[in-house]
Amino acid sequence: MRRLVYKRLILLVPLLLGISFICYGLVNLSPSDPAEVVLRVNDITPTPEAISEMHKELGLDKPFMTRYFLWLEGIIQGDFGISYETKIPVLIEIQRALPVTLILAGSSFLLIVFLGLSLGTLCAIFEGSLLDKILRGFVFTAMAMPSFWLGLLFMWFFALKLDLVPISGAEDFRGYILPTLTLSCSFAATYIRIMRNTLINTKENLYILHAKVRGLKKSLVLKHQIINALQPFIIAVGMSIPRLIAGTVIVESIFSLPGLGRLCVHAIFSRDYPMIQAYILFMAVAFILFNLLADVLVQWIDPRLRRQA
Amino acid sequence: MLSLSHTEVGMKQRKVLKSFLIAIFIGAFFLGCNDKHDDKSKQVTTQKNELEYANTKDIRNINPHLYGGEMAAQNMVFESLVLDTKEGIKPWLAQSWEISDDGRTYIFHLRKDVTFSDGTPFNAEVVKQNIDAVLSNRTRHAWLELTNEINGSEVVDEFTYKLSLKNPYYPTLVELSMTRPFRFISPKCFIKGETKNGVSCYIGTGPWVLAKHEKNAFALFEQNPKYWGEKPKLQSVKWRVMPDHQAILLALQKGEIDLIFGSDGDMIDLNAFEMLKKEGKYDVLLSSPVASRAILVNTKRPITKDIQVREALEYAVNKKAIAEGILNNTETVANTLLSKATPYCDIGLKPKLYDKEKANSLLEKDGWKMDANGIRNKDGKPLHLKLYYNAKNAQEKSISEYIQSNLKDIGVVLEIIGEEKQSFLDRQKSGDFDLQYALSWGTPYDPQSFISSWRIAAHGDYQAQLGLEKKAWLDTQIKAILIEPNEVKRQDMYREIFTYIHEQNVYIPLSYSRTKAVFVPSLKGVGFNPSQYEIPFEKMYF
Repeated sequence: MRRLVYKRLILLVPLLLGISFICYGLVNLSPSDPAEVVLRVNDITPTPEAISEMHKELGLDKPFMTRYFLWLEGIIQGDFGISYETKIPVLIEIQRALPVTLILAGSSFLLIVFLGLSLGTLCAIFEGSLLDKILRGFVFTAMAMPSFWLGLLFMWFFALKLDLVPISGAEDFRGYILPTLTLSCSFAATYIRIMRNTLINTKENLYILHAKVRGLKKSLVLKHQIINALQPFIIAVGMSIPRLIAGTVIVESIFSLPGLGRLCVHAIFSRDYPMIQAYILFMAVAFILFNLLADVLVQWIDPRLRRQA
Repeated sequence: MLSLSHTEVGMKQRKVLKSFLIAIFIGAFFLGCNDKHDDKSKQVTTQKNELEYANTKDIRNINPHLYGGEMAAQNMVFESLVLDTKEGIKPWLAQSWEISDDGRTYIFHLRKDVTFSDGTPFNAEVVKQNIDAVLSNRTRHAWLELTNEINGSEVVDEFTYKLSLKNPYYPTLVELSMTRPFRFISPKCFIKGETKNGVSCYIGTGPWVLAKHEKNAFALFEQNPKYWGEKPKLQSVKWRVMPDHQAILLALQKGEIDLIFGSDGDMIDLNAFEMLKKEGKYDVLLSSPVASRAILVNTKRPITKDIQVREALEYAVNKKAIAEGILNNTETVANTLLSKATPYCDIGLKPKLYDKEKANSLLEKDGWKMDANGIRNKDGKPLHLKLYYNAKNAQEKSISEYIQSNLKDIGVVLEIIGEEKQSFLDRQKSGDFDLQYALSWGTPYDPQSFISSWRIAAHGDYQAQLGLEKKAWLDTQIKAILIEPNEVKRQDMYREIFTYIHEQNVYIPLSYSRTKAVFVPSLKGVGFNPSQYEIPFEKMYF
């Protein structure tokens, strides 16, 4: 397994280089002139003199490849550049917004795992029963509901009508309750389905029949069923962490949380290229790492896969 | 055998289900208790001397010499030499001033009792340092003609400051009163003697001090204990950042915020405004008209370069229906680009009122013939135009759709295209549009700063005017107006350019926008400053 991890880590280098080039190149393909955008973002009339001065200030007068290598060199040294808009290092901006997003994504993750495992298992145990139908009804509704609408409904009901939580803000933990619920809903629905279906499929396996024939305790049989059903669940959940981090945008906007999602959307609208590039790179790395982590975890749980590897 | 095991498993599993449901119930109960307890304790400690205001945007960088921050926040902390009021320019940090006969020298006598909130005294030296810092960044302030006109800045004595100009630039005092850039920040905040590359703190002389700022979350402004003027009645103002309009509404209904304030649908959309007004639980206020909403007609495009077509468009748009039906009477009908209340703009221009017949006959005379499908054609080409708007602005979308139906009535196909804001602005700059939205800047920027911007290529106005026969004359005339010392002559020059623009049908005026405020009834003293970008928090109280 250690070999697999090393191999994957070594492969990371060309992959990251490729990603860095694509994300730098794509952002630079945008038709807007960054110098002009910077001026506009700061409400300055982009006169030709101001644009040319800004070109020099941003180093845009240098050739594309030179700019790319300078950017890459900076990143290796931990310097992601300076935000066009705020003139604050991008890394500091990200560090400031990251905790909010991590708390939101982390709490949602725990809730999703809890709901996915427990409700998925319940559905599988009571397959075809009323409970299963109700829960599946919830799953379909939750998956179909857009999160901005669900968020506003939660806000209206729990914050305005029941007065249990604040409408918005991240000043204390209560501010995270509704965003976590909103963010978890659609994700949890997916994982409840995965868990339920895999468990039902596992029921049909011969080793389960064998275990039952041997007269093993029911709980022991269920335990084996769950362990075998965990593999697709873990892979899916592992990939959900970066998806959760990336998917907080709408929820953060509705609930006024100053997280990474809002930082990124704002950067996109104001064409804050260094910020967008850093965000894309950060998300790409997160996806790759969590993918690796899920693979390792699955191999650790299932010795058969280790032997195959 | 299988059915037997199912029954056994079933019993066990029902037990699991039962414990699971109990656990959820207990969890929910404790959560509920905890929240209610917290709310009660909050109610006890909250005193109504803090105003909670919601804005969709963060205050950002409020360096008064740059443009990255929210103007309402800059205005709370930083002050100017003179103040623009409804009654005209009044003394502020300068208690009096003298203007030389040739209009080129201004001598300001400063107040002697002013200090910055960090204790630094405010004097002529500080004024010079600040103005020099602004001028060392001249290209950034190119939109403001005053920065190009200043050619001397000197300290006469501790409290006397002299400003010299190249020409007798008439809007000098108005531009000195603007929210930026001629406001004063403590020299201790300068970085290497400059402010153009950022500042190390936000210390001003104003009634408020920025006490705490958490980016994208909130900013807390507290009363400035060292303030030289009348202190605000509120202890503090909490500027909460709430990007979602619906969330702002819910927060107002829940009592988490006390005030919504803004113009042009950026803080509250018209339907919500109407709903709150009808509900009667909140107080609502509308300012007098502040800025103009119009459609720019590009004089350089193949179809709209024809003045007859432009004139027909003027008569085809039913502005009254837009103001009443779409804008719910929150804006007044505009018959001229700038309202009569704007300085130099009460010049008796003949309004072009909605007249479908006239629009039709103008197009008919111009050779645009209606085909069987109700579309006008000339030389085998249909009368097809494109109108671009900012996709995020719900009002502009509704207005565009209405104009589309108006123009259909006279056989014009109007394609309406909503674009993301930056693309919309890029299009303005390139002039790649037939029709596009234009908003004037409102008082105190209208008319002088607004017309001054017509000369800058990056503005949609400049692009739309490029096809005018007398565009070069227009630009020269604007430059001349700004430095014309004689009031009567200046009025005549303004009349000339506004008449020319009106006759050339470059703009289809729609309405004069107003600033809107919605607030809890216990909040008193809510009003408006002449500038739509400022919020007079210092006059508010509970």
